[in-house]
Amino acid sequence: MSNETKTRKPWLNWLFFGATIVAVFLIGLLASSIIERRQETVSRLQFSKPIDEWEPRNEVWGESFPQEYETYMKTLDTNFVSKHGGNQMRRYLDEFPELVIMWAGYAFSKEYNQGRGHAYAVNDVRNILRTGGIDSNSMPATCWTCKSPDVPRMMNKVGVKEFYNSKWLEMGEQVVNPIGCGDCHDPKTMNLRITRPALMEAFERQGKKMKDFSHQDMRSLVCAQCHVEYYFAKPGNYLTFPWDKGFSADSMEAYYDKIEFTDWTHKLSRAPMLKAQHPDYELFKTGIHAQRGVSCADCHMPYKVEGGKKFTDHQIQSPLNNIANSCQVCHRESETQLIKDVYERQDRVLEIRRIAEKTLAAAHLEAKAAWDAGATEEEMKPVLKLIRNSQWRWDWVAAANGVGFHSPVEALRVLGTSVSLGEKARGQLAVILSKHGVKIPIQLPDYSTKELAQKLIGIDIEKLKAEKIKLLQTVVKEWDAKAEKRQGSLNRYNQK
Amino acid sequence: MNGLKKLIVKLIPPSRWQLPVIILLGIFIGLGLFIVKISNAASYLTDDPKACINCHVMSTHYSSWLHSSHRERAVCNDCHVPHDNFVRKYMFKAQDGLRHATMFTFRLEPQVIRIHEAGRAVVQENCKRCHENQIDRVSAINVTEENHKDGAGKRCWDCHRETPHGRVGSQASSMNNYMPPPEPSLPEWLEEYINETNSKSKGAKNE
Repeated sequence: MSNETKTRKPWLNWLFFGATIVAVFLIGLLASSIIERRQETVSRLQFSKPIDEWEPRNEVWGESFPQEYETYMKTLDTNFVSKHGGNQMRRYLDEFPELVIMWAGYAFSKEYNQGRGHAYAVNDVRNILRTGGIDSNSMPATCWTCKSPDVPRMMNKVGVKEFYNSKWLEMGEQVVNPIGCGDCHDPKTMNLRITRPALMEAFERQGKKMKDFSHQDMRSLVCAQCHVEYYFAKPGNYLTFPWDKGFSADSMEAYYDKIEFTDWTHKLSRAPMLKAQHPDYELFKTGIHAQRGVSCADCHMPYKVEGGKKFTDHQIQSPLNNIANSCQVCHRESETQLIKDVYERQDRVLEIRRIAEKTLAAAHLEAKAAWDAGATEEEMKPVLKLIRNSQWRWDWVAAANGVGFHSPVEALRVLGTSVSLGEKARGQLAVILSKHGVKIPIQLPDYSTKELAQKLIGIDIEKLKAEKIKLLQTVVKEWDAKAEKRQGSLNRYNQK
Repeated sequence: MNGLKKLIVKLIPPSRWQLPVIILLGIFIGLGLFIVKISNAASYLTDDPKACINCHVMSTHYSSWLHSSHRERAVCNDCHVPHDNFVRKYMFKAQDGLRHATMFTFRLEPQVIRIHEAGRAVVQENCKRCHENQIDRVSAINVTEENHKDGAGKRCWDCHRETPHGRVGSQASSMNNYMPPPEPSLPEWLEEYINETNSKSKGAKNE
């Protein structure tokens, strides 16, 4: 055999040598080409300049992502009004004066409006009477938590606990940019990310980790950082989600009852009340859309084509203002039909919600009459518990956006239990009133307008407005000036 | 059998060459495996739609599908490879795959990717495969790519033009898409904070 090697012609050896070189060279070329082309995927994002990790100014992000930024800025639009919603500020207390009675002794009875677009977040929270004026303002900084990408910046800087523990007025100069890019996106990769601790803390307590979620989940979870039910755990006003027993109104109620949490004591009925925030995510999760795999962004941020480019529409708004790109991706019915379908469900939810509101306003006033007639703590305790739970369940639906459309069946179930508990309370109140010699039905005062209702519970609205104007014209102007100096520029958005 | 044995014996190098030959073969096989790994080749045996965006040229199609209602029921392969039998499915995949790999490697991909005839025939088959019950009363049930050319009728997407990829399909059209969709993550400071409070609360429980 060794003879063979010796007898092989030298040129053949050189040929083998050369062929091997060519083969290895080509394989290497292929490998490097594959690596290179896979890199192209990563470098698809085109930054006009790098965005800093803590950049809170949306307009700076907008330099690199103009389409997304321009559509985001359209959240300033207030021209769309649907039957029950839209992007205009609706004055709920004017529309439903019962709410003033139901929130007596709590800041919501001063002013409560439908929120406008995300770009108004900072201005609206500064303007609303609930956040008060300069003197004796005790609002915690926790109220800022959902309003701005400045919040994670400050949490990182001063610490999460310390942030919650400071005052709303103290943090005012730091929180100036409305909800925007940095709240949901990583500045280097633009990946969706969670920036608020409360959501992750709630999941941690349930044993869920970030890796348990998919990208499609994230398209809802970035919204669930804020569009959820939460409370300020005392001491320290630590923002916490009451999810440990489950996501339903019933489970959260059990959670609050167990820790004996109350938001405030009702001024008329003296009931230990709960205030629901906006459990949009929790309600949505019980609905058919969530069960079929739809995310928040699918309807509220659909795909948009503009000049041959496709991108996610960042004008987060009611899908009713954009049926073609949201509903009709899946539903083949006409726009008129789809709008009718939505209104039909909302009308029904609102019908039962109004019954609950009338029941609850009456229950609070009747409870006051019972106290006035000399009812004892012992007599009233079970009634007040019923009122607390009834109003919680009403609020769980009423505070959520979309008038129950996120899950009409669950919304109606919860409202049904609210009416039932409220009427049970009124039945027991009738017994107590009769026992103390009050003739029933008692004559209820007139609270048919917001003004009458606020007068009834002793709110001096003019004084509140004067304090607010003073805050806006002095302190808020200083906040903006300081922020402008710190950032180098400041977009004041639409301060009207 | 004997012939094969002879061939193998003939291929075995002389003993003093065996070590270098073994090393050389190892290098070649190693290089081959390296290419299999970096090209994510094993993923092509699956039906995972992420396999189709190993190359970014498909990202427009992937993201438009991800924003369509078909996302909930059908992945790329449900429409784009035949499903009547196993052999045809993988033959088709191999043919398509080799063509795509060649085009991509030599940078021959066009700005707007159009489906070829073989692909059209398969998609038409697959529309009918799932939607049979909706169309068995109309003539569309009889249309194939073959008889469509003879004027037998329209293909499904001649009318349903938006389904599911939309009408804008150039590679430049979906500029800011994440390809592949990223794994959810937390910012570093938040992850640290959560781990810290976690270990603290565990410590408190143990006490």
